[in-house]
Amino acid sequence: MAAPGEFPRNEPFDVESLPMLDADQVGHLRRIENLSSLLPDDWSGMQGKSSLQEDFGGLRFQLAYMSYALALTHRHRLPAAPGLFRKTFQRLIEKMLSPDVWTYWHYVSTGNGPINSAQGELPAEWNPVVKDNIMYSAYLQSMALLYHYMFNDGRYAEPGALTMELKPLYWGAGGKKFVYDERSLNDHLYWMMVEKGYLGIACEPNCVFQICNQVPILGFRFHDMVYGGSLAKDTTDGYLRAWSDFGIANERGHFNMMVQEIERNLIPTEAPWIDFWLGSLMHAWNPGFVEEHYPAQIARWGEPGPDGTLWVNETPGIPSSLGFTSARDFGWAAVCASEVGDEESLSKMLGYADRFLHRTWSDGGLHYRRHDESFDGEGRFSAMDPHTGNALLGYARLNVPGGLEKLYAEPWHEGHFEEPALAGISDNADVLRARFERDAQSLVLTLSPRADRAGKVRLELENIGKRGPWTLDIDGAAVLSGDGASLDAPKGAVAAKCETGLLHIECAIDRPSNFVLTFH
Amino acid sequence: MIEGTFSLADHDGNHVTEASYRGRFMLVYFGFTHCRKVCPRSLARMTAALDALGALGRHVAPLYITVDPERDTVPVMKAFLAANFPRFTGLTGSREAIDSAKASFRVFTRKGPDPEDAEGYAVPHTAFAYLLGPDGKYLTHFTDTVDETEMADRLRSVLTDAGAAA
Repeated sequence: MAAPGEFPRNEPFDVESLPMLDADQVGHLRRIENLSSLLPDDWSGMQGKSSLQEDFGGLRFQLAYMSYALALTHRHRLPAAPGLFRKTFQRLIEKMLSPDVWTYWHYVSTGNGPINSAQGELPAEWNPVVKDNIMYSAYLQSMALLYHYMFNDGRYAEPGALTMELKPLYWGAGGKKFVYDERSLNDHLYWMMVEKGYLGIACEPNCVFQICNQVPILGFRFHDMVYGGSLAKDTTDGYLRAWSDFGIANERGHFNMMVQEIERNLIPTEAPWIDFWLGSLMHAWNPGFVEEHYPAQIARWGEPGPDGTLWVNETPGIPSSLGFTSARDFGWAAVCASEVGDEESLSKMLGYADRFLHRTWSDGGLHYRRHDESFDGEGRFSAMDPHTGNALLGYARLNVPGGLEKLYAEPWHEGHFEEPALAGISDNADVLRARFERDAQSLVLTLSPRADRAGKVRLELENIGKRGPWTLDIDGAAVLSGDGASLDAPKGAVAAKCETGLLHIECAIDRPSNFVLTFH
Repeated sequence: MIEGTFSLADHDGNHVTEASYRGRFMLVYFGFTHCRKVCPRSLARMTAALDALGALGRHVAPLYITVDPERDTVPVMKAFLAANFPRFTGLTGSREAIDSAKASFRVFTRKGPDPEDAEGYAVPHTAFAYLLGPDGKYLTHFTDTVDETEMADRLRSVLTDAGAAA
């Protein structure tokens, strides 16, 4: 082994010039991890004022958009760190299967509300995916298939991997059990979409929302990227034909919210959450259309705040008519700005949120604390709901311009899953950089010790053994080298071993440190 | 997901079900004879694909099920197909029987006004060609965007894999 200083230079590039997560972005990831790690059915910090998971900030939405935020961060910012995200993503999917998340459907399936009374009161349905309720089923479908695509892990394709089960004690003899996997659920949704002529699958009975029907399209695309086929293209082609009867947008440039399925009647509502939520999702497959309408939408709904900040008021009516407040119009505006690349508006909105919307650090995680008053004593918008505070603003901060569009349109490059990567890391360090620089053949990690958690950092690196000799530098100092599965003696306070196909490294770091493993 | 069942009359007036075609592949398409654009294009494409299969094509029973049974009676179906797409066997029946077949194939239709139609209506519909195996089980479907060459290639592959001989 060469003496210190005799290693070939391992950084034929400037590590510091590579993009890195900032403290707020790391804080959002920690918040997602913290919430995912709560004990089953402990929803601390995720509960809003509404009841029965009926509103648009329910648990399913928070879990889904947190998972999307993880995927976007992994895809665009930390592509060589699957191990940072994989287990958190699994936990979010596991929580999606909790009866707390989906049993609202037993009540909502009966319909007969103010805008879906055409069928009268319907029989209550327990199965949350069998009919309608695309506002749950498609999130579960898309999360499972997105997981498969992101991590090349087919665990949710196993029979029964997506089973929704309710085990009551004093009623319902035998309980309820609905057995699916990612393919059976996807097939079910696809054929329902076909049966509906691609107009979409209803959320609440008789209510076909454009927004929620973007989600199965995402799922179909992830399906196609995993299994092949063209379900997504078939659906988007059909969707455009079907919605030409109503218009995706109205004559004033605002997106249409929903159609009453039986009456085939468009509900003429304009609201920021409709424009920005739909825009955020539809940008994946119809970016030109969204970008055409976005400037006028943000110009209408955005309101100047103090010191050059920007805010978006909550929609009159729902949910305030039901007695609770929401910042989701604001939150979706921030997400949409991040997706269409309006970095100026995004920065201004995040600036407003940081000053006035109850920015909070908790257990190392960053979120915006629930606040039920719409305006403060000085007349400034001050509402915050858990969905916006836990998921949407984090999503907006972690996304990149065109992030969902690229996730949808551009598969991982060939060979991605064979490249060296961070397969696992102890929970006492944050990952600020994780990328494999193909030209230099270098795996670059920047790790930062967490102030609130002690101990040595343990890493597991994968796909190291088949690329020939390598060396590992930490902050420019060579500490380890090897060739395949054989290791030379580590230097300094670094311990290492090769086991089960992984390179295990343990070391102490007291500040953000660059780990660069280069193949020669 | 696709049961692929029906109980209808063929264009010679015989009662048929999916079991009537056991031992052959079924290529099933839903439409209506007054359809001016989608059906003629699809039926022509399927005909061309089956022609391209040569002798292998005899293993496939092409079926055209109407979604407009009020107008598409047995004689209407027979005359329309004999004149335009003679490879196909037309199937029709009561409204209930057609609705049952549609549900079995997850077919979308929506009757709506059409000022260019003599009776003033059209029935936009799912434009899939469903392929069912000799055992009657759903195998795959071809969307409206699949051209005749691709359809022929995929059909040939399925038929050959199943041991069908030219």
